[in-house]
Amino acid sequence: MTGTDSNDAADGPGMLRSAGLLWVRFIWRHWLREWKLTTLLVGVLALGVAVFLGVRLGNKAALTGFGFFTESIAGESDFIIRSETGTIPVAALGKLRQAAGALPVSFFAVKERSATFELKDGEKISLRLVGADWVALQNYGSGGGGILGSGDNDPRLGESGAVIIGESFEQTHGISEGDRFKVYCDDREVELNVVGIIPDDPLRPEVPANLVLIDLPGLWALVESEPSLSRIECQLPSGSLRDELKRAAELKLRESAEALNLVMETPQDRKTSVTEMSRAFRLNLTILSGLALLVGIYLILQALEATVVKRRSEIATLRSLGVTPRQIQQAWLLESLVLGIVGSLVGILLGRLLAVGLVGAISQTVNTLYYETTTASVSLSVGEIAFALFYGILSSLIAGWIPAREAALTPPAQGLRSATRVGGLAFLGKYPIALLMLGLGIAAAWIPPLVGQSGSRFAVGGYASAILLVVGASLLIGVLFPAVARLLRAFGGKRVVISYAASQLARPSGRHRLTAAGLSVAIGMSAAMGILVASFEYTLTSWIGQLLRADAYVASGGNPSISNDGIIREQTWQAIASSPEVEGVDILRSYLVEVDGVRVFVGGTDLNSDSARYLELVWEETPDEIGPDALERLSGDLVAAFVNEPFFRRFGLGKSDTFTIPTPQGDETVSIEGVYADYGTETGTILLSRKHTSAWFGDNDVSNLSIYLKDPDSVDEWVSKLGQNFPALSVQSNRRLREESIRIFHQTFAVTYALEAIAVIIAMAGLGMALAGLLIERRRQLATLKAIGTTRAQIATMAMWEGVGLTLVGLIGGYFVSLALGWVLIDVINPQSFGWTLQYYWPLRLFIFLGIAALAIGGIVSWVVGYRFANLRSDRTE
Amino acid sequence: MKVLQVSNLTKTYGEMPVLKGVSLALEEGERVALMGPSGSGKSTLLNCVGGIDRPDEGQIQVGGDDLGGLGEEALCRLRRDRVTTVFQFFHLLPTLSVAENVAFPLQLKGVSGAELQDRVDQAITEVSLKHRIDAMPDELSGGEMQRVAIARALVGRPSLILADEPTGNLDSQTGETILDLMESLSDQHRIAMLLVTHSPSVARICTRTLLLRDGSLDSAA
Repeated sequence: MTGTDSNDAADGPGMLRSAGLLWVRFIWRHWLREWKLTTLLVGVLALGVAVFLGVRLGNKAALTGFGFFTESIAGESDFIIRSETGTIPVAALGKLRQAAGALPVSFFAVKERSATFELKDGEKISLRLVGADWVALQNYGSGGGGILGSGDNDPRLGESGAVIIGESFEQTHGISEGDRFKVYCDDREVELNVVGIIPDDPLRPEVPANLVLIDLPGLWALVESEPSLSRIECQLPSGSLRDELKRAAELKLRESAEALNLVMETPQDRKTSVTEMSRAFRLNLTILSGLALLVGIYLILQALEATVVKRRSEIATLRSLGVTPRQIQQAWLLESLVLGIVGSLVGILLGRLLAVGLVGAISQTVNTLYYETTTASVSLSVGEIAFALFYGILSSLIAGWIPAREAALTPPAQGLRSATRVGGLAFLGKYPIALLMLGLGIAAAWIPPLVGQSGSRFAVGGYASAILLVVGASLLIGVLFPAVARLLRAFGGKRVVISYAASQLARPSGRHRLTAAGLSVAIGMSAAMGILVASFEYTLTSWIGQLLRADAYVASGGNPSISNDGIIREQTWQAIASSPEVEGVDILRSYLVEVDGVRVFVGGTDLNSDSARYLELVWEETPDEIGPDALERLSGDLVAAFVNEPFFRRFGLGKSDTFTIPTPQGDETVSIEGVYADYGTETGTILLSRKHTSAWFGDNDVSNLSIYLKDPDSVDEWVSKLGQNFPALSVQSNRRLREESIRIFHQTFAVTYALEAIAVIIAMAGLGMALAGLLIERRRQLATLKAIGTTRAQIATMAMWEGVGLTLVGLIGGYFVSLALGWVLIDVINPQSFGWTLQYYWPLRLFIFLGIAALAIGGIVSWVVGYRFANLRSDRTE
Repeated sequence: MKVLQVSNLTKTYGEMPVLKGVSLALEEGERVALMGPSGSGKSTLLNCVGGIDRPDEGQIQVGGDDLGGLGEEALCRLRRDRVTTVFQFFHLLPTLSVAENVAFPLQLKGVSGAELQDRVDQAITEVSLKHRIDAMPDELSGGEMQRVAIARALVGRPSLILADEPTGNLDSQTGETILDLMESLSDQHRIAMLLVTHSPSVARICTRTLLLRDGSLDSAA
C-alpha cells in the first residue's frame, strides 16, 4: 500500500477545483461559524457599494429628469435647432419648413417656461411648462391612440389654460383629469385645467413628474409674451431610406439654420453638453461616495488580515498536507471574490433605496448651482448594476490581495514555530516610497485641469495629488509610533498595564502600521471634508454678508433655480419700486445665452443710486471705478462689463479683455473691467448696465429686485403686504434669504456629514478587528500574562491603552492628512473644477470633537476586544 | 529498499551550525527513533527531510528522488503523497469532521467518489475511530485527535511518516496505545517512520535509535 497510487492525479485537481475545495471546506465553514463577522463584512461592503451607487443613481435621476419632451412622447428627435440667445422667432419655423422642401421632416416647435406650483404643505416646486403643437403631437404615441389615448378628441383641449400631465405628475401630486390647479408664472397666478393624462408606456421614456404640456398659443397667451420659440425639434420617419433622408435633411437644415443665425445639433450633442456642465459636481459627489468604499476596503483588508492570523495554524497544517502557496492564495482571493459578490448585491438593493432619498437633495443643489432640472424616478439599469458589481468586487479583491499573499507566505506546520514572520505588510515600513509619493503629490497639484467641450473642467492633477498625498502620508505614519509610545509611558508612570501597551507600540508590527494607516485615511478624509465644508461656509457667509445689503428681495415665482426664466413685468416692478415705503432698488435682468456651447448668463443691472446703499460686489480683480454707476463711468467705445469668477476661470478672460455676446440684435462686444466673486453659481455671468441689455434683448422686464426701504425696521410688515398684493412673487426679507441660503448650503452638504460619520464608524470597527488580530497573534504572550497572574480585566485594559495609542497615531496622522487634503480640495480642486476661490478655514471645534470621539470610541472598542480575547488558549486555533 | 537516504547534511542558522554532516538511511517499513536534547537539531533534520527547510550542504533522497532538485510545488506534492507528518499538537483542521480531516489530503489529489469513501473508511477503521467518524475535533480527546492525525497521515499511502513527538501531548497510557497503533500500521503497510522524541518509551517500537547531539549523530543505541 505504500508509494503513490497510480490512480491519483499527479498534480492534483485543477486550480478552480482546488480553490473551490478549500473554500467549501474551510472558508465557508468559518463564515458559518463566525456569522456575525461575516455579516459585518458583507454589511460594510454593502454599505460602501450602496453609498456609491445611491449617490450615482440619485445624481443621475436628478440630472436626467427632463431631457427633451419628444423623447417622452414621440421618441428621440433627430435634430434640435436652437438659438444662442435662447429665443427663436416663430418665422424661422416656416423658413426651415421651406428649406426641408419635399423631405418628410416633422417639426415640433417648443416653447418652455418655468412655473411654480405650491404644494399643500406650502413647499414650492418647479414645473416646466412645455408649449407644443398639440395637433402635430396627436400623430404620435403608442397604439395609435395619440399621446393622450382616448382623450385626444376632447373639446376641452382648446380651452384656455388646458394642460396635459404625465401619469407620474398625477400620482405624485394627486391631480387628475378634470382637476384645476394654480401655478405662479412670472409675476402672476394662473389657473390650469387638466384635460388629459399621458399614460405611461413601457416602450418610451417616462414623462417627468413636473412636466406640464400646454398648447403653444395657450402658453404664449398665458405668459403674455410675443410669440417665440425655445427650440425646434425635428424628426424623420423610420424606414429603409431613413439614413439617406437624415443625411439630406441635415445638409439642408444646417444651411438654413446657419442662415437664420441658429444652431443645429443632435440630442446626443445636447445631452453631452448638459452632462459636461455638471461633471465637476458629479465628480465631487462620486469621489465623496468613493470615500465610504475606500474606508470599507480598509476594513475588509483588516478583517481578512485578521482571519489569516486567526487561521494561521490551520493554514500551516494545510501547507503540511501538501497544499501549495498558490492554492492558498487562490482560496483567499476566492473568499474576497465571494464577499465582493454578496456585498455588492446587497449594496445594490440598499443603494436603490438610498438613491430615492438622495434624489431630492441633489436636484435642489443642481437647481441652485447649475440649471433648472426636474427629477425622474430612480431607475436601476443593467449597466448600473454591472458597474456597482464591478466596483464592489474590485474593491473586495484589492482588499483581499495583501491578506491572500500573507496567507500564502505561511510556512507548513513543521516550520511554524521557527519561521520568521515575513508578512505581507512589510511595505508599510518603507518610508522612502512614502516620501516619494508625498513629493509627487505636491508636484501633481500644479498639473492644469482638463477642459471639456462645453468648458467644464476636470482637476486631474488635483485628484491625483489628493490620492498620492493621502496614501503617502498614511504610509509614513509609522514614524509616529515611538513618540506615541513614549507619551503613553510618560502618561502611565508606573502603571504596568500602560507601560505594557506602550511596549507593543514602541516596536510596531505591520498590523500596527496598517491599522494606523487606515485610521489616518478615514480620520484624515473626514477632517478634510470638514475643512472644506467649514471653509465653504465661512466664505459663503462672508460673501452673503457683503452681498445681501438690501432689506428685501423680490423674484418671480419662488423657484430657487439660478436659471429660472421667470420675469417680473415692467408694470409690476415699476409699481413696487415706486411704492412710498421704498427708498431705492437694485435691478437685475438676466438672460441665458450660449457662447461656443457654454452657457453664460448676461445680467443687465441698474443699481440703487438714490441711497448710500447699493449692491457691493466682492472683487477678485478690482475695477478702476466702483460704485452704483461704475459700469456707466467705465464705458467708452465699448460697453463696460464685470464678470464673475467662474466666467473668468472658464474663459480665461479678465480685466482689460473683451468678450462678444450673442444677442437678438446681433453680436455685441463688451470690455471686461473687473472680476467679482460669485458662490451662487458655477455658471459664468457677465454683468453690464441694463440699458444695454434692454436694447439688445428688447424688453424692459426684470428678473429680480433688491429693495431698500425707507424704514428698514418695517421690512417684515412690508414683505407680508407685498406678498398679499402679489402672491405670484417670491418676496423675502434679508434675514429670511440669508437663513434660506444657509439652509440650502447645509442640505447640499448633508450627505458629506453622513459620509464622515460612516467613515469614522467603519474605521473604529477596523481598529477592533486589528486588535483582535494582534491579540490572536500574541496568544502565547497572553497565556504567559495569565500564567503570571494577570486578570482578564487587566488584559482588556492593556488592549484598551494599546488601542488608544493606535488611535492617537492614526489621529495625529489623520490631522496631517486632512491639512494636506484640505489644501488640495480648497486651493486646487475647487478653483479648477468650480471656479471658486475659498478662504481656508480650520474648524477647530470639529477637530477637537473628532479627536475626543475617536479616542473614546477607540478605547471602548479596544477594551471590549481585549476582554473578549483575553481568555485565548495558546494551544488552540481560533 | 531504501525509503530515505540522508548524506552529509549540514545546516547553519546565522553563525550557529545546527546540523554537521548528518547521514542516515531508512529501509521500507523501518522505524527509527531520533532522540537528543533540546537544540540538538532534531526538528531541523525533520524539516529538511520533509522539504520544509533546505540544507546548506548534503543530499536527501526520498525513494531515490533528490529533494535538492525539487521546486516548491514538487515539495508540496512530496508532503501530500510520500512523506506525511504526525504532530505533537495534532494539527487537525478545526472546521472539518473526523472523516473530512482524513479525506482532505486525498481530495487535494483529486481523488473522489467511491474510492475516496473506501480509503477514508479504511483509514478510520484502522485507527479504530469508526464510531467517531462525524465528530468535530473539539469533541475528541487527545488520544482520539492523534488517531485522526495518524489516519490522515496514512490515507495518502505514504512511504515515510515523520512523527514529531507523537505522544508528547498525551498521557502515558494513551501514548502507549498510540505507539502500538503506529507500530502495527507500519508493519501492516510497510511504512517507514522517523520518530523524533524525548521519551525512551517511543524507542520500544523502533528498530534503531539515533542520538543527535550538537548537530551530529552521536551513536546508535
